[in-house]
Amino acid sequence: MKPITRQFRDFFVSLKLTIVLLVLSIVLIFWATLSQVDLGVWGVQEKFFHSFFVLGRIPGTKFPIPVFPGGYSIGGLLLINLIAAHIYRFKLEWKKLGIQLTHFGIILILVGELLSGIFQQESQMPLNEGETKNYSESYRDVELAIMDITDPKFNEVVAIPEAVLRDGGTIQHPSLPFQVKIRDYYPNAILQMRNQVPNAAPAVATSGIGPRVALIPLPLTYKADERNSPAADIELVATEGSLGIWVTSPLFGMPQTVSYQGHTWELALRFKRYYRPFALTLLKFTHEIYAGTDIPKNFASRVRLKTDDGHEDREILIYMNNPLRYAGLTFYQASFDPSNDHNTILQVVRNPSWVLPYVSCILMALGLVIQFGMHLVKFIRKRSAN
Amino acid sequence: MFPRPTVFAALSLVLLIGCKDREIATYRAPKDPPPVMPGPPPPSDDAASSSAPGNQSMANTAVPTASGSDLVWTAPTAWAAKPNGPMRKGSFSVKGDGGDADLSITAFPGSTGGLLANVNRWRGQLGLAPFGEGEMETNVVHLDAGDLHMVVVDFAGNAGDKSTRILGAIIPQDTDTWFFKLMGPDALVESQKPAFLEFLHTVKSR
Repeated sequence: MKPITRQFRDFFVSLKLTIVLLVLSIVLIFWATLSQVDLGVWGVQEKFFHSFFVLGRIPGTKFPIPVFPGGYSIGGLLLINLIAAHIYRFKLEWKKLGIQLTHFGIILILVGELLSGIFQQESQMPLNEGETKNYSESYRDVELAIMDITDPKFNEVVAIPEAVLRDGGTIQHPSLPFQVKIRDYYPNAILQMRNQVPNAAPAVATSGIGPRVALIPLPLTYKADERNSPAADIELVATEGSLGIWVTSPLFGMPQTVSYQGHTWELALRFKRYYRPFALTLLKFTHEIYAGTDIPKNFASRVRLKTDDGHEDREILIYMNNPLRYAGLTFYQASFDPSNDHNTILQVVRNPSWVLPYVSCILMALGLVIQFGMHLVKFIRKRSAN
Repeated sequence: MFPRPTVFAALSLVLLIGCKDREIATYRAPKDPPPVMPGPPPPSDDAASSSAPGNQSMANTAVPTASGSDLVWTAPTAWAAKPNGPMRKGSFSVKGDGGDADLSITAFPGSTGGLLANVNRWRGQLGLAPFGEGEMETNVVHLDAGDLHMVVVDFAGNAGDKSTRILGAIIPQDTDTWFFKLMGPDALVESQKPAFLEFLHTVKSR
């Protein structure tokens, strides 16, 4: 083996690396916990754990520099370290079975977290009693939906994701008879009636509600109980020229309409929707609190699940720790609207690797039982021999 | 150090993840069902008796808006006032042979997307095709009541499996837009049309 290859191998199989990585992860978790005060859970996850490096800024500039290894770096190196050590030191022996199983469990939990980070999709489904929905909505990601609503039975939707809106520019999509020009994009902004904002900048929008509202950009918020509300100025340009400029925001409860070539289109910046081949109807929401307090004791949603093909039509009760699992999705009883006793908020999670943490815990428990069991048996035998 | 296929697989995974966020999706989606207002509790005996006082006069309701001046109205005694709920300025239950119709009064700042969008929103709730720009004018009635200008619509269609009718009025008032909507079983709402139009004439700014 070449010296350089050996150095690589020795580095990745060393126990010192494991210790260093574990210490780094303790520091990272401690720092992230303190930062939750300012950034909230989501902000901390993005900055510390779903990143290769924790970025800081050179004081006085906006230039980001890596200041500490992030969750992906530490987790990734730990994974490589474990696998390398496993391969290097692996010996097929019965007396090592416990240790092998425990380590395999740890590897599986790290792989599971990586897969969750890549494939997990979380959204929410707020429902009023009697309301039926066949889609859930993202908490944070928005999309510009341009819908041809001409047909009375369905809408033809073109959904432009936030990442594309952020870059600006002009989009020519084969399903649209006009170009979509993103003139401005604001990651967080509020809207006020123009006549209530004396010094508002002149309106960019020329159509819809836009000319009557003033758009006030805000800094991004990371707080758990606040939501960013993006806004965008959108111009539709046909071959004849501009059809108008609209200001769009999820704060408008309803879409704006434009007619062109005998078709009617709706324009809405909304929280990204995930449509499903089945629908849920909220039949009843019950919300109990401990007597004399506002602390929730139990809250439950009775829902009706109906598939588009009519194969399934049944009622389910979703309550804390009793989610509905259906079609690869899990519906948890997450929250409710405190101002409305007839509204529930279900959290909808798609995680193809949800079973991995359970399997790895079983493996680790089994490994530890075997390992300590063998020691115990050995010890008892030794004692009885004496 | 790593075999070439592994590097390619890792790179394509990264690219795949990176591109997924930037994909423009096109799909056919069902129409959104009409929004369901939070169901107020059924009016109790107390509420029913207080809404129909002994002198047979009309029930007066006045509601302030966040900005702009208020509208007031006088509803027929046969209509039972319901609790408003979080979004409504006024709420009535209109009972008849065909069941129960719901009259909602709401107000929002601005033009809330414009007249056409709102008329088409109501048409969508009945499964009707939206109007184009030119079509709307010939299908609505303009009504002047006192100092208010109202756009009155009467649409019949289907909500779910039931034949349903909407009688509606959209009233711009200062910087706000007010919506008066009577929605319910087709025959019942049609029979209430004269009462609804008479009711609109009682609406005035305070």
